[in-house]
Amino acid sequence: MTPTQTPIIVVSSLTRTIVNGAHRVEILRGIDFTIPAGQFVAIMGPSGSGKSTLLGLLAGLDEATSGKVILDGTDITGMAEDELALVRGRKIGFVFQSYHLIPTLTAEENVLLPAELTGVKGDIAGRARELLERVGLSERRDHYPVQLSGGEQQRVALARAFMVHPPILMADEPTGNLDSANGRHILELLLDLNQREKTTLILVTHDPELAAHANRRITLRDGLILSDELQETTFGAQVVS
Amino acid sequence: MRTALKIAWREARASAAKFLFVVIAVAVGVASLTGVRGFSRAFETMLLREARTLMAADLSVRVFALPSPQQTAAMDQLATGGVRRTWITETVTMLSASAAANPVLVSVKAVDPRVYPFYGAVKLDPPGPLAARLTAETVAVSEDLLPRLNLRIGDSVRIGGQSFRIAGTVLGEPDRMAGSLNVGPRVMMSREGLARADLLIAGSRASERFLFRIPPTTNIETVRANLKKTFPEALIADFRQTHPIIEAGLERATTFLSLVSLIALIVGALGVATAIQAHLQQKMDSIAVMKCLGARSSQIVRIYLLQTLALGLAGGLLGIICGVAVQRAFPILIAHYFSVTPKFSIDLLSAGQGLAIGLLSTLLFTLPPLLSIRRIRPGLIFRREMTEQRAGRWVRLRQARAAMVATLLILVGIGGIAGWLSASLRMGVYFVLALVVSLVALAGVAWLLLRGLKSFSKGAGRALRPSMRHGIANLYRPGNHAQAALVALGIGVMFTLTIYLVQRGMLTEMMLSAPPGMPNVFLLDITPRNRAAVEDLLSRQMGIEGSPEIIGSVAARIASIDGGPLEKRNLVGYSRRFRGTTSVTTAASLPPHTSVIEGKFWTDAQPSALMQVSVSEEAAKTLNLHPGAKIDWSTPARQFSSVVASIHRTEAIRLSARIEFLFTPGALDGLPVIYYGSVRVKPPLVGAMQRAIYQRFPTVTIVNVADVMQIIQEVVDQISLVIRFISAFAILAGAIILASSVAGTRFRRIREVVILKTLGATRNRVAEIFSIEFLILGVVAGLMGSLLATAFTALLLRRLFDAQFHVDWVPNLLSIAATAFVANVAGWLASFRILGQKPLEILRQE
Repeated sequence: MTPTQTPIIVVSSLTRTIVNGAHRVEILRGIDFTIPAGQFVAIMGPSGSGKSTLLGLLAGLDEATSGKVILDGTDITGMAEDELALVRGRKIGFVFQSYHLIPTLTAEENVLLPAELTGVKGDIAGRARELLERVGLSERRDHYPVQLSGGEQQRVALARAFMVHPPILMADEPTGNLDSANGRHILELLLDLNQREKTTLILVTHDPELAAHANRRITLRDGLILSDELQETTFGAQVVS
Repeated sequence: MRTALKIAWREARASAAKFLFVVIAVAVGVASLTGVRGFSRAFETMLLREARTLMAADLSVRVFALPSPQQTAAMDQLATGGVRRTWITETVTMLSASAAANPVLVSVKAVDPRVYPFYGAVKLDPPGPLAARLTAETVAVSEDLLPRLNLRIGDSVRIGGQSFRIAGTVLGEPDRMAGSLNVGPRVMMSREGLARADLLIAGSRASERFLFRIPPTTNIETVRANLKKTFPEALIADFRQTHPIIEAGLERATTFLSLVSLIALIVGALGVATAIQAHLQQKMDSIAVMKCLGARSSQIVRIYLLQTLALGLAGGLLGIICGVAVQRAFPILIAHYFSVTPKFSIDLLSAGQGLAIGLLSTLLFTLPPLLSIRRIRPGLIFRREMTEQRAGRWVRLRQARAAMVATLLILVGIGGIAGWLSASLRMGVYFVLALVVSLVALAGVAWLLLRGLKSFSKGAGRALRPSMRHGIANLYRPGNHAQAALVALGIGVMFTLTIYLVQRGMLTEMMLSAPPGMPNVFLLDITPRNRAAVEDLLSRQMGIEGSPEIIGSVAARIASIDGGPLEKRNLVGYSRRFRGTTSVTTAASLPPHTSVIEGKFWTDAQPSALMQVSVSEEAAKTLNLHPGAKIDWSTPARQFSSVVASIHRTEAIRLSARIEFLFTPGALDGLPVIYYGSVRVKPPLVGAMQRAIYQRFPTVTIVNVADVMQIIQEVVDQISLVIRFISAFAILAGAIILASSVAGTRFRRIREVVILKTLGATRNRVAEIFSIEFLILGVVAGLMGSLLATAFTALLLRRLFDAQFHVDWVPNLLSIAATAFVANVAGWLASFRILGQKPLEILRQE
């Protein structure tokens, strides 16, 4: 981390415990890190290590048992559901493993949705078209998700994630459901958009090849940080095709 | 709001087909509601607009005794000012085709055809003016009389011992609704004809009306006040008001039918709630995604709220259109009693009311699923287990509190709507209580039956046919709202069947309460001259059981009680009969089957200036009479006073019970008396006796209880037909909900069909499985409906009507079969296309 950069995410002593009847599962057992703006962080670890839970807590999708998450200067721990929704709408873009497009909306309508929900003014239709063009789907903007292939659906999801110029982009195994060619295409687009939009990118993956593109790699095991290392990357450069 | 509207529209667009059933479910309830109220309003408007025609006059005076010379003079005085009048007499008598044939009880209306009607016209077949047809020798009869006696126009009939020629049939008479209740076919005759037949004897039970036509230059209010002074106890009505009895009846009928429609609407709204809940369950992921993308709960609630409102609105509008058909059906349903058809018009007020109520009930019932949106966590899409955690006690309590608030809102809302429709807060409360009891009972029975079926299927295991096992298993398929569909269908069946069973039970009770030994033939209007001869004839008749009872009655009017004039008393409804003449008689000792409940009945009364009277329990209650009270009487012949000696109670079916005042012997000497007889005849010999009496005494009216029962049954049938017509809408709504529930599981069904087909099931086998599922649903709903209908009927008959109750198997079994059929039709309408799916198409999509 370069010390001059201002932190956009600060996580301190974060824990998450699930109590299910007599069972008590400690998913996260005390996580601390700071992410400066513009960094590309890969969160790695085997399944069950707490990666997705951590991502969920960073986005305010779930409540921490203890500890703090500060997003762009705002402490989001203990915020009410609707306040969190506002924070997410303005600051975070999402890309999910299984796309999660709204099946009843067309590709373009799906891309427009975040802007409409957060009440962004201006030429949002133009922005949506521009993004769809950038992911190569301007011809298919009136198609419904069911009429698109998996790779195409994930490209729509990418366009949607960048719609409101979020300072942070969170991606949960974005290529996990795709074959390698499509996966590579999505990664290319993700990195390209990320560079243009100057977004902080947090990528959850267990694919080391994907993680290799990040500036920083945080590895989790059993709810704790096993390693947190900066790395020389191909970030900004072309992904080897 | 615009964003929510936009997203709501986009969302609904893709689910249009699924929501079709929801729209129809709401439409059914709204249709029946607007139909009922629209018809009622049109009817009322017609009553007001055509009031003159419906009264056939500007003003009518119904009197209870023939006018005195002073009263006639007063009416003649009005005539000098240009006020025209005509006299109408309605009575019942016997008519026969020839002297030998069985006589028929008919209702006679005697008019002056040169003047009557002042407004409107009597429609005759063959067409022609009434004045030309009705002479002293002719009559016009209603169509139903001709086939009964095998008669044709031009034939002769005998009335009161005189011969009359049938000049034509009466197709319509303007003031039919204003007349007295018509028993038996109508016979219209001229006043000269009535005089010739000699049907009017003093004290006979004829109803007299005077109709007035008032010149435009004369103030109707003055005429009315004048007549009120002349006939203080008469019922006076003028065209500016609708007929008070008809209006009250219309209001009660409208309220009742509106509440029945509301049940149909609630069933529909329940369907909307289950459909929305199923819809939201499918949308859980989408909702979670939207929350991830920054949507607040309130925004999402707004989206689905708008969708719900749009569905309610669409259903309401469709309902208003269908309500037109309902409104049109009404005149046909009640044609037998009201020959007039209100001019058809779309009533904006009832349409608006229907729409508002449709929207409101849709909204109320979808409140719980809409509120559950708040509980969907955005983390759902990351980790399913996050939401599966058991929430803390406090959170659960808070959620339960929200559900309770929603339930309370629904109940208050429904109560409010019912109160609005019936214009009575108390009715609203009762409606909600009855609804809650019914719904809880239905849901409980549905739960028990479904559970029982499950354990039966489990227990029977492989002993059951595979299609049977699959069919039963389908009921428990996730997303299959079997219980909701059962409750919806069951409530319709329950309601319709309860109406029918109560009606049957009441009629059976009436039949049963005339047990052997009680009289089954009544003789009315026996003159003192004929009395001995009638008794003599009866004593020589075959088949008479016991001894005939003949009592004389005098028509007298109560002038005052304890010095207070009767007009000052606030008598309402049936009690108003005491304002007219009352039948009174004398008794030397306590009549048989009678007991004294207050005071002391005379044993050997000495004639005195103050005569003693014993009053029936009911009259005493209405007039607040106790032993010692003084009653002043007036008759055209003289005035006299009496003191109440006792209050008595008589078994209801006895003739003597019809007479509520018994005097000491000699008290009524010199007053015109008319005799009534009652006799028990072996049923097969009633016809012979009727003929024998009619031949010798044609003016004596013979009432066979069996005929009267027939007439009562016809009236009750007609009323219950209207109620069943409206309550059938609840069944229709139930069937639609079943269809909607089936349509909601369409995708699961398609997958199953495909898998079954891939595994070698034929189309027929799949059809068999589905049919078994629908059949079970229908049978269970029918069973629930008839179980609860029987229970409610037992309760109503025993508690409310004090009648006997017997389980009526045939209608119950028929309802179950009919419900099974309806369920199958509804189920297949929603799923027949599924059968044709090609396996590969579906499997490829997986």
